[in-house]
Amino acid sequence: MVLIERLNYLGGNVSRFNNYFPKLCPPACGLEINYSRIRSNPRISYHTGASVESICGSDGDFRVKISVEPRLINNNCTSCGLCAEVCPEERPQKLGRKAGEKAAYINNGLAFPMKYCIDPLVCKREACGKCLEVCDYDAIQLNASPAEVELQVGKIIVATGWILYDAARIENYRYQEEPDVVTNLEFERMLAACTREKTKLTRPSDGKTPRRIAFVQCAGSRDVNHLPYCSAVCCSTSLKHALTLESEYPDIHAEIFYIDMRLSGRNEKLLKQAEGKERIALTKGKVGRIVQGEGEANLVLEVEDISKGFRREDAFDMVVLAMGLTPNHVAAGLKVNKYGFYLPEQRAGIIPAASCKRPMDVSSAVKDATACALKAMQR
Amino acid sequence: MGIIKPDIKFKRELGRLSGSQLNQCMQCGNCSAVCSLAPAERPFPGKEMVWSGWGLKEKLIGNVDIWLCHQCGDCSSYCPRDVKPADVISAIRHQTYLHYARPRFLGKLVSSPAWLPVAIAIPVVVIMAILSLAGTFKIPEGPVDYSAFFPHGLLNSTFSAITLFFYLLASFGIVRFWKDMKRLTPPGEAGMKKFPIARVLGEILSHSNFSGCGSQQLRKIAHMSLFFGFGLLILVTLYAIWATITHNYPLPFTNPFKIAGNVASLMIYSGLGIMVFQRLMNRSVFGKSSYSDWLLLAAIGLLTLSGTLVELARFGNWSVAYHLYFFHLVAVWFVIMYLPFTKMGHIFYRTTALLYARSIGRK
Repeated sequence: MVLIERLNYLGGNVSRFNNYFPKLCPPACGLEINYSRIRSNPRISYHTGASVESICGSDGDFRVKISVEPRLINNNCTSCGLCAEVCPEERPQKLGRKAGEKAAYINNGLAFPMKYCIDPLVCKREACGKCLEVCDYDAIQLNASPAEVELQVGKIIVATGWILYDAARIENYRYQEEPDVVTNLEFERMLAACTREKTKLTRPSDGKTPRRIAFVQCAGSRDVNHLPYCSAVCCSTSLKHALTLESEYPDIHAEIFYIDMRLSGRNEKLLKQAEGKERIALTKGKVGRIVQGEGEANLVLEVEDISKGFRREDAFDMVVLAMGLTPNHVAAGLKVNKYGFYLPEQRAGIIPAASCKRPMDVSSAVKDATACALKAMQR
Repeated sequence: MGIIKPDIKFKRELGRLSGSQLNQCMQCGNCSAVCSLAPAERPFPGKEMVWSGWGLKEKLIGNVDIWLCHQCGDCSSYCPRDVKPADVISAIRHQTYLHYARPRFLGKLVSSPAWLPVAIAIPVVVIMAILSLAGTFKIPEGPVDYSAFFPHGLLNSTFSAITLFFYLLASFGIVRFWKDMKRLTPPGEAGMKKFPIARVLGEILSHSNFSGCGSQQLRKIAHMSLFFGFGLLILVTLYAIWATITHNYPLPFTNPFKIAGNVASLMIYSGLGIMVFQRLMNRSVFGKSSYSDWLLLAAIGLLTLSGTLVELARFGNWSVAYHLYFFHLVAVWFVIMYLPFTKMGHIFYRTTALLYARSIGRK
């Protein structure tokens, strides 16, 4: 079993979550056991920073060429963190990224492998070289070049996952113009950063604590101008966020604007939990526009409250867009459906797994991936 | 809660006229949310879309809100299901003309291409009958003089009488329309204000509801040119009627009223030009323009064009002058006499609805 991971760490989006449903566990719950299984099982190996160059052969006898980007820090690393301490270069600011993160960094929160790496876009290499002086383990290799690896495998499981629909394309929600309009993934990472660093939740524009946060459902989903399909997880996600705010941030009021609350299976519990909570409001109505308002709460939502038959223009401090999910298109040449998701049936020996086939939540993805692994083991 | 009486025929007709898949509406309220003219309480067009989907004709005919809509198309372009609320509302307005039209068959006549020949034949036959009775139904000799063909006194009296007759019939419809609005949207506790005529007039003249619609500057300009062009032409016509009685008619080219008339027709040409251009270039916003919409544009265009040609024919002594004049009179009939039954009827219905809406404080 060889894992080929594009990022510098395993665990993908989940490893950077604050918590996940249905039980609102932190990501460590579930990921840690899998990390330890990978560590202790000699038949599982992995490559980080790796991408597939080519696949030839057929079912039972594939030859896969991958290219592996160097981490610039090798396996000698003990994650002592001295390199990051002396590193003078900072990575650019991003929502949910630790402020002032250095070019030598380790993935926030759950890092597997538990080793530092260097951002090649920010590092000045030999021109600086400060980290080389402090590292006692000969771990830093600023000149490392990409490696080509060829693997011989019987089956290929494609688990490229999902990415968010581009929020900037929904121009009436002003994602690009307003720093306090964030996607639910960005919000998740902001919450994760607050949990990790034990800080208050602040809004991006002025660092103040938001009082009222609006969640806009179907941002891109169920919309013929964007994604015609339902993205399946965003209602649960927003309920999860609202419940997290309710329990962790006593000053914040959350309001979810939805077309229909679509929760699958056990996630329906989240709705039961949210209903009747004083600081969670659930309002039926699709948000039409977000416009700029006056004063501190300056994001004005234009929305019809359908159950009351009333059109509101209501100001919020922050808006979270519950974005639609799209397939992460990194595997070329696979058969796709009309929305770009991979079809379950591909040529023999290639098995797409989990959310690259359709939007689904973590537990469904785990179940689907298990099924795909079983399928791959059968002759 | 009352008993719901769906009218499936009415629903299908709305679907046909608007090109909308009414069943696709998921009642998300996005249309009411993006509408910059929707009132806070019971906003439109969300509820109208639900009623249309159910075929609730009795809630839709006599509905005041569909007249507050100035069809900017924001609801259609942002609709997540592509059900085109703007076109559905427009189709309901069309159904309103038909519903209140008396005699009823005149409404049908001008709303279906199949009846177009009859709609044209009526003015042709009536004008021929008037001319035959007057004994002037032949091409006169000598320089072009329209009064030799259709004496001014006769023209003014017969056409005015027919117009007033049609408008009188229409006024009964307007009264019923008012009653229906009052029944469907009763005044609140504040009751009814006195007729807010000055306010509604201000709204109409300034076209302020057009600027309420997002980025619709060009539509506003187009409607303004048509509106004021038309208004100016009516003034010029009234003056001309007075002139035929009191002093010499026709007017020379340099008469201020003649100049005003020509300026007005230029305004109409430019307004029409923009309207046609926008309908052709911008189908996503303007949707599927209906037959009655195109018929009206064509009628106004032909009316103005034939008017200009009639004027040129008089100064140029063209041999086809009287044919053009006859054609022009038919076009006048189409726009002026048929006014209550066509999309032009919005002059009556929208003004009435605005008066009602503002008098009950709905905005």
